[in-house]
Amino acid sequence: MRPEHWLFTISLRLRSLFRWAQADQDLDDELRDHLERRTEEYFAKGMTQQEARRRARLDLGGVEKVKEECRDARRVNWIQDLILDLRYGLRMLAKSRAFTVVAILTLALGIGANTAIFSCINAWIIKPLPYPRSDRLMVFATHDKKNGWTGEHVTSPADFFDFQRQNTSFEQIVAWAGAGLNLTGDGHPELVDGGRVTWNFFDALGAKPILGRTFIPDDDRSGAPHVCILGEGLWQGRYAGNPKIIGRNITVGGEAYTVIGVMPGTFQFPLMGIANLWTPLALSDKQRADRSGSWLPAFGRLKPGVTQEQAEAEAGVFFSGLEKQFSQTNANLTWLVNSMTWDIRRKEGGPELMIVFVIVGLILLIACANVANLMLARATSRTREFAVRGALGATEGRLAGQLLTESLLLFFLGGVAGTLFGFWLMRLIESWIPGRIRGYMINYGHVDLDFVTLAFTLGIALVCGLVFGLAPAFQNARLDVNQTLKEASGQASGGQRGARLRRIFVASEIALAVVVLISATLVVKSFIISIRTSPGYNPENVMTAQLVMPRTKYINDSQKRNFGEEVLARLRALPGVASAGAASNVPFGGFGQGVEVEAVRRPSQPGERTGAGFAAASPDYFSTMQIGLVKGRFFNSADSQGSSPVVIITQSFAREFWPNEDPIGRQIRFGEQHTVATIVGVVRDIMRDHLRERGGWLMFVPLAQFPSSTLAFVVRSSADPTMMAAAIRDAIWSVDNDQPISSAPLETLIAVVDAGYRVMTKLMVFFGALAMFLGTIGIYGVMAHLVSQRIHEIGIRMALGASPVQVLRMVIGSGLKLAVVGVAVGIVVALAATRSLTTLLYQVAPNDPLTFTAVPILFVAVAVAACYLPACRAMGVDPIVALRYE
Amino acid sequence: MLVSVTEDIDMSKPSDLVQGTLDMLLLKILALEPMNGFAVSQRLKQVSGDVLQVSDGSLYPSLHKLEQEGWITAEWRTSEYGRRAKYYSLTRLGRRQLEKEADNWGRLSSAISRVIKLKEA
Repeated sequence: MRPEHWLFTISLRLRSLFRWAQADQDLDDELRDHLERRTEEYFAKGMTQQEARRRARLDLGGVEKVKEECRDARRVNWIQDLILDLRYGLRMLAKSRAFTVVAILTLALGIGANTAIFSCINAWIIKPLPYPRSDRLMVFATHDKKNGWTGEHVTSPADFFDFQRQNTSFEQIVAWAGAGLNLTGDGHPELVDGGRVTWNFFDALGAKPILGRTFIPDDDRSGAPHVCILGEGLWQGRYAGNPKIIGRNITVGGEAYTVIGVMPGTFQFPLMGIANLWTPLALSDKQRADRSGSWLPAFGRLKPGVTQEQAEAEAGVFFSGLEKQFSQTNANLTWLVNSMTWDIRRKEGGPELMIVFVIVGLILLIACANVANLMLARATSRTREFAVRGALGATEGRLAGQLLTESLLLFFLGGVAGTLFGFWLMRLIESWIPGRIRGYMINYGHVDLDFVTLAFTLGIALVCGLVFGLAPAFQNARLDVNQTLKEASGQASGGQRGARLRRIFVASEIALAVVVLISATLVVKSFIISIRTSPGYNPENVMTAQLVMPRTKYINDSQKRNFGEEVLARLRALPGVASAGAASNVPFGGFGQGVEVEAVRRPSQPGERTGAGFAAASPDYFSTMQIGLVKGRFFNSADSQGSSPVVIITQSFAREFWPNEDPIGRQIRFGEQHTVATIVGVVRDIMRDHLRERGGWLMFVPLAQFPSSTLAFVVRSSADPTMMAAAIRDAIWSVDNDQPISSAPLETLIAVVDAGYRVMTKLMVFFGALAMFLGTIGIYGVMAHLVSQRIHEIGIRMALGASPVQVLRMVIGSGLKLAVVGVAVGIVVALAATRSLTTLLYQVAPNDPLTFTAVPILFVAVAVAACYLPACRAMGVDPIVALRYE
Repeated sequence: MLVSVTEDIDMSKPSDLVQGTLDMLLLKILALEPMNGFAVSQRLKQVSGDVLQVSDGSLYPSLHKLEQEGWITAEWRTSEYGRRAKYYSLTRLGRRQLEKEADNWGRLSSAISRVIKLKEA
């Protein structure tokens, strides 16, 4: 069309769009006028008025049909059609209320589950870190090329400062160390989670304070005046949001620190966890020169244009140089460079979330299959309606379009309901995450119903509506109008095709439900096994109290020793206390210590140093924790500061270093000072950091010989935990009433760390049950409808002499066949699919035979039960009534 | 449908050729003078000597299409029965379209004549 023609017709089309009500009236008038004239013509030819009118109408054909074709000729009417369809669809849905409610609820469950999981994925995995150009942030790890171990995030201070000075790939290189900082004065003594950081920490992250300033290089020298930065939460909580906080002195670790800035509450560094107080790292010169231990976590911001590979290559070259220079400390060591975003997401359970996402996707399919079945069932009773409309002139395309619009409407409403359900589920999942863990998650683990999530929900609702809404449209296509109108009942031969489609849907959803249920069962089984597996000690009824003795108050060893012994004495004297002990760190306490150790052998072999977990413990620690002794003895009062150093190791440690000999009496060298200690005892393996550890290497030394400024007291008592916690706190304060304490039952500490698996397991239980529920409803629905469709046939059978039992068997038999087919397919799919669950499983094989037999049997039993009610109905059919029923 | 009385041509499914021809004929009729739909069909029947008759059911969809394309325009007047009646007339665009289609038709029909008049061996 030429341009001016096009423009001209646009206004025409727009006009007809907006005035289509008027246009309708016009059509009416025009055709009525025509009929009048035609009638007049026939009348003039000699027919009667009546006959003339009749002939005129016949000549025209159906008035409605002609009107429809005229409207079609205008070709702007798809919008009008859409609005009409929507209004019609709403009316139809409102009429069959039971169907609508059930369908919407089913969709709400399926879609809502996806909304919730997707919002988690969006918040924790998809959204970038809350720093400018966060893709440029990299974390370091020390990697031992020969022994293959990797220390995540950590570097040795000397290596760090050397690289910081000499590298060319990074704009900034930052070191940080999480710390529990004691706050005293201004109220209760408080142990605050915080961090000691190099001066450029906030600059590298692009974080700005809301008050004051961040650190400058001068703050980060040893001997510089003490400064600190508060987090907004701490500022509001402890200092009442006092705007004059800048320049004030507060007491941290017994020393005066000047507050120079306040960071906003939105600032978060997930690798460090929750932090509310920052001080400069301010390492001493001696610490800066330390090359022997990798303990200082570090990250960096790449220069523009430098890639991760280039940076890692530079590190590799730099470290081979160090290897040659410092062969004793740096043999085989190099740095790995990884994206910080990747690292954080991995820790948040990215892979596990994707598995759950697949599971809820399957659940959505199950829900859609259910709704499709409902729609098909409903469509069979509407065939007459469609036949009549076809006779009135509706084209096949229009009818299909209307059905599709109805389905889309239904799925849209389901999507809205699903958003609500998803929102509730999101809050539920959030509540399962312990507060401590949140510090390590982006946005504190908070999940929002944001625009992206809403778009996703709407998207899947519409896509499912399109795909599954075609099913009833298909069924009603190509109806033989005459045949349909002639049939007495509302059922048409099209019902046969529909029945097969419904059977396919049900078998498929059973298969999917079986897959989901098997996966869920495997995960739950893993979880139960992991709980039952002994961690090497008995965490029940044990209360812990952790503290950090300020360096300024407890300068020398005897002060630390005395404090520890005093407190222990008071703890033992408390009523209800069965036993009490102390150690420099406690499992799951968050203060894990490690040292480098090597076995002392003759002749000595250099370069065998490896890392081992470390703790200094009092003699009673082992009995309080009920740690099992395998060989040798526990510590006793003879192991004191004067006597030669002794050590107790775990079984795996013993097996690794002395596989064929008795480790008792052997010696190991450990630590910075290369202390030599004799092994006096071997204990069972202890789970210190995860419940699914397999044999870590741990060593214990007597607290009396190696006093520690971090102490964790453990108290075994069957008294009420809150009272016990208060009593322990009072006991410690009676020795030093300025000492901040963090206390919690040991079981809580474990639960917090194990939270990831717990959340996962809870999700699996929830979704497994949901899949089961939806699958059962699906079977029941189809069975019930099939029975009601075959009432006629059943009546005939019974009239011909079939017994109720035979009818029962027939109904249950057909249901059973469906279930068995579905279950068989489900098993095959599950066998392939569960292999991806291996990371989640603990001592459970992905093709665990018990699970793979129990779940299918359960499903078949449930299917039979679901057929029971419809079967009873079938049995109770009165043949006479059935035969009359049309 | 457009039915030729002389032959039983089954034109229950409108082909493009037939539809285009019908459009051209309607435009031409309206070029003579503005009139309503009924009159168009009467006039066509009359001037073709009863050979070309448009069925009532396909007349109005065609007219509406022509109106949609902008080739004819409509106005409402009071009919002799005292009620509203729609009268169509040709537009400037329509006149151009009519010329174009008449040209095409001329070319088509002379080509067909040439083929039909070929001497058989």
